[in-house]
Amino acid sequence: MPLKLARFWLICLFFLVWAILIVLRLFWLQVVRHQEYVERAQRQQQRTFEVAPRRGVLYDRNLHELAMTVQVDSVFAVPTEIADKQATAHALAAIVHIDPDDIQTTEVQIAARLVAGHSFAWVARRVTAETSARVKELIKSGAVKGIYFQKEFQRFYPDNEIAAQVLGYVGLDDAGLGGLEQKFEPLLHGVSGRMYTAMDARRHVLGSTESEPEPGRNLTLTIDENIQFMAERALDHAMERTQAANATVVVQDVHTGQILALAIRPTFNPNLFRHATPELLRNHAVSDVYEPGSVFKLVAYSAALDQHAAAPDDMIDCQGGQITIAGRTIHDNQGEHFGRITVHEALEHSSDVAAIKLAMKVGQERFYQYIRDFGFGARTGAELPGETRGLLRPVNKWESSSIGSIAMGQEVGVTPLQMVSMVSTIANGGVYLPPRVLMPGQVDGTSTGQQSAVPRAPMPFKPGGDLPNPLPPGAHRVISTLAAAQMRKMMEGVVLFGTGRQAQLNGYSSGGKTGTAQKIDPATHLYSKTMHIASFAGIAPVNNPIIAVAVIIDSPKGAYYGAAISAPVFAEVAQQVLEYLAVPHDISVRSPHAFSKAGLRMAEDDAPQQTGNISALYAAANELPNDDPLRAAVVQASAAGQSAIARPSQTNAQPPGGAGNAKPIAPQQPAPTTVIVSSGNALRVPSLINLPVRKVIEQAAAAGLEVEITGNGTVREQAPAPGTMVPPGTKIVVRCGR
Amino acid sequence: MAACTTTYFEAGRSWEARVAERNAEMMTRQALRRRGMRTPEFAFPKHFDNSRLVKTPDPVRARQISLFSKAITVLFLLTMVYGLQHFSAIEGGYRVESEKQVREQLREENRQLRLSEAQLTEPNRIDRMSRELGFAEPQPGQMVQPNAAPDVSAPALAQVVPPVSAVQ
Repeated sequence: MPLKLARFWLICLFFLVWAILIVLRLFWLQVVRHQEYVERAQRQQQRTFEVAPRRGVLYDRNLHELAMTVQVDSVFAVPTEIADKQATAHALAAIVHIDPDDIQTTEVQIAARLVAGHSFAWVARRVTAETSARVKELIKSGAVKGIYFQKEFQRFYPDNEIAAQVLGYVGLDDAGLGGLEQKFEPLLHGVSGRMYTAMDARRHVLGSTESEPEPGRNLTLTIDENIQFMAERALDHAMERTQAANATVVVQDVHTGQILALAIRPTFNPNLFRHATPELLRNHAVSDVYEPGSVFKLVAYSAALDQHAAAPDDMIDCQGGQITIAGRTIHDNQGEHFGRITVHEALEHSSDVAAIKLAMKVGQERFYQYIRDFGFGARTGAELPGETRGLLRPVNKWESSSIGSIAMGQEVGVTPLQMVSMVSTIANGGVYLPPRVLMPGQVDGTSTGQQSAVPRAPMPFKPGGDLPNPLPPGAHRVISTLAAAQMRKMMEGVVLFGTGRQAQLNGYSSGGKTGTAQKIDPATHLYSKTMHIASFAGIAPVNNPIIAVAVIIDSPKGAYYGAAISAPVFAEVAQQVLEYLAVPHDISVRSPHAFSKAGLRMAEDDAPQQTGNISALYAAANELPNDDPLRAAVVQASAAGQSAIARPSQTNAQPPGGAGNAKPIAPQQPAPTTVIVSSGNALRVPSLINLPVRKVIEQAAAAGLEVEITGNGTVREQAPAPGTMVPPGTKIVVRCGR
Repeated sequence: MAACTTTYFEAGRSWEARVAERNAEMMTRQALRRRGMRTPEFAFPKHFDNSRLVKTPDPVRARQISLFSKAITVLFLLTMVYGLQHFSAIEGGYRVESEKQVREQLREENRQLRLSEAQLTEPNRIDRMSRELGFAEPQPGQMVQPNAAPDVSAPALAQVVPPVSAVQ
């Protein structure tokens, strides 16, 4: 039957071809395009969930927590389970909307998210324990449905405003903003964990693999919480008295260079970072420079003693309080016409003439070298963001009169951190130690990458001790031990007999130098007659110094001399710190009545003179590196506050001089530059602490500000802090307590 | 068989007696059904004495069975051990996860407590509460530190110091 056989084979051939086509197609899909389909499947099936790591803890040197992260409840809703979204939003907003500035927790916002969402919608994130309890009660009562809780990390600063600028704060996305939180963000943040899941077409999880999150590293600061509190309280008292624009206190251990306290006012509460402004975040101790004025004379005197150009008991001719350099005549304080006096007396009475003569004896080159050796004109390397190196022109760019100006502390811009390091150098015997904010061995490359399971032991500050052996990197000898000892005695003389009498301590010897400087008016680019900087840098005790303290008060109202404003702050801080450290008294303790400094004749500090060369400062500012924060100032063309009044140049009589704050520096030439100016219609927040509610309302209304009162009794806390410049109508939040 | 079962349970008679009774019953029944002459049917007991039958010993088979039994036993034990370990490990894993969760909860609680402690020992708060309670700052010389070591490195001043009382 050939036809049937042929038909059979024909059918077989057909099936064969069909099978071959299928095999080819399979080969094409599973071999040739294998990778492509695997990737598509992974994209469709795999989901990656990030697991947030726990942020590292910031400890003080005694291992007290300054910043730590704990889990708190966040409230979310499943909108599909909620019948009446508006009513639910209303009920929830009444509980979670505590901060009036938080627009995310308003009823309107919550309702919008409930309507827009399908299976998930945030109600409020990171709520307090009280709020969480109230929401749970609401759920338990059955008033709302579809509301659940999820744990999230929240950063807490238990000490509130203490060391706020040093610590910085953490924003909503757990990123550090300002201070150490920003500087060490990679270390503190940790490594996020990952959860890889495979999901089917119905979004059911098939399987998952996890990688655990790696918590952030803990850091221990050199700050002592209690010393920091003492410094901040002393600053609060000073701000109350002077109503200054801002103030800074730095306390340093003279034997190690570690910073024990760094206090700045005005300040903010990192727990309420919504009230923080960039200005409040600014760390004036490292980011702001000022012309130090007479405090800088310590450099000239130290150089002269170290070079054996003078001895403390040598006589020096102050030429009746007047000296002429390169055609410029510089005078001592008004009413002071010293003749031949001893070198130590010249320092006690802050003779400009003596300082200039000593600097000229040392010589320009060597004097510049001593300035650099003391740490000026370069970054200290402290672990704080936004540090500027200050303003110091190279010696080859000095003018013929620059040595005179710089010897008096003009034509040079220094930071408070540089200033305190300078007096520490004198205090510890002449060795410059770079200031540090972090305990050693944490981020200097010697520490291992692994997080230590055992917390570091507390390292309370113990007074006394020798210099570290070996010296830390960056440390070097500046002056001899003998010169340092001579300087300490002379600084003690300043406090006992000179301009620094308000810095005397009860039971402890102290030494230091006062300074008063004029600020540069950003509008006129000339030295201001109304804005000053009062400073004092000192050590205590004198014979065996433990601490060095620098106090800088910017634009005080009323009295503005360093002797009157800053020296008492030094006394308050040093007295408390030494008592706290149980340092043995080196002089006899007097009764409070006998020790009253009210009767002390306050020798007026060096009156600010307009003898400095402002253009030299501007030129120094132009030579700053590009990453220096001083160079990166922002132009704020606020029409309300800026007045570009051109004043005639005062070059006929005394050249413009004195000392000024170079906070916003503009170049001499009218080139487009950046200048920070304050808005003219800003209001200063009054201090409402310890006032009753009625007074609070009256004062706020008088200041043109709104107020929100919580609690009963007298005011315990307020935000923004007193002295903060805010726009009119800003709401001040006060917390009252009995 | 039915007859055997029935009659045996009815009385404890002998086998032959039962067979005879059965025969009689069958004869009677057959007679009722008989149409014409039929061959009568009789049941004869046949005794089977199998007591002489003895299974011949088969050592090979016996060894095989013994070996197989041992192998099965070992396999069974191994399977049980494996299963026991496997499920114990799973249960242990659950316990470990549960303990881990408890540990994490305790750690978190510890952190919360440390935070509370830090907030309660905040210097500002202590200072404020102390003042509210009427405490005052100690004056210089009021606080005597019995454990404070004298500063031997500081130069000693030659002076007469009147004794300072602890509380002035």
